[in-house]
Amino acid sequence: MRESRLMLLQYITALLAVALVAVHLLTQGIIYPYSTAISFGTILSLYRNGLYAIFLEALLVVVLVHGFNGVRIILHEWRQTAPWSRWVDIGTVVAIVATVAFGSKTVILAVFGGASG
Amino acid sequence: MSSEGGGKARNRRGLSGWLNPYHYNFERWAYVFQRVTGIAILAYVIGHLGDTSFFVGGPIGTGPSQSSWTFISGIVENSFGHLILVLVVLVVIFHGTNGLRLIASEMGLILGRPASIEYPYKPRSLRLGQRALIWAAIILAVVGAAWAAMILFGGLA
Repeated sequence: MRESRLMLLQYITALLAVALVAVHLLTQGIIYPYSTAISFGTILSLYRNGLYAIFLEALLVVVLVHGFNGVRIILHEWRQTAPWSRWVDIGTVVAIVATVAFGSKTVILAVFGGASG
Repeated sequence: MSSEGGGKARNRRGLSGWLNPYHYNFERWAYVFQRVTGIAILAYVIGHLGDTSFFVGGPIGTGPSQSSWTFISGIVENSFGHLILVLVVLVVIFHGTNGLRLIASEMGLILGRPASIEYPYKPRSLRLGQRALIWAAIILAVVGAAWAAMILFGGLA
């Protein structure tokens, strides 16, 4: 992908992240009291509400793409050699895929997995 | 960073080249804080993926587990963990609000009209609008962190 497109992606994910993170912060302590927001029962009911699970998955993808692409931009500014740039780009894709996969596993298991005590 | 022979760019000062904002203007400080807070937030998010995984029994869990969630809550839900959360709220609000300023600047907004460069060489782009937005980011971050501290330490909610 061209660098200009990646920068556009950075700004789009930034705008989405501002909205999604704002909702996430409001959920923790304002929409719900903090002690309720972190209780097992509340979290389970939120995950089992499909819309909130989609919200969390979107938050996960947007924040990780924005974060790792941001680190990629910093690393490209730091050094500009062809091998460095290539490995930074590869590392960024690997990091995004690995962390999104790990986070998505939590969301999927929370939504569809059988609860235990 | 300086351009040297053969057009090859070399960053002689390495990380300190952008990490040290001394002797630069206010906007440069905001630039450094934007990057430092961005890295800090990413580090927190990766850790947060780890602790929230305990909702489903940990990294190799198979489904929602109350005992696993109680276990991780016992580790992170204490004064030190709450202090970390207050700092996270502080840097997240600064990073988000300052980021909106950067996007506006990228779109050519709040930069002022171009003009010839004259002594004392104060950049027109750093007049009231930009400075006001940087201060707004700082103030919002402090207010948000104070609110989070009241919730986490003062039992506000």
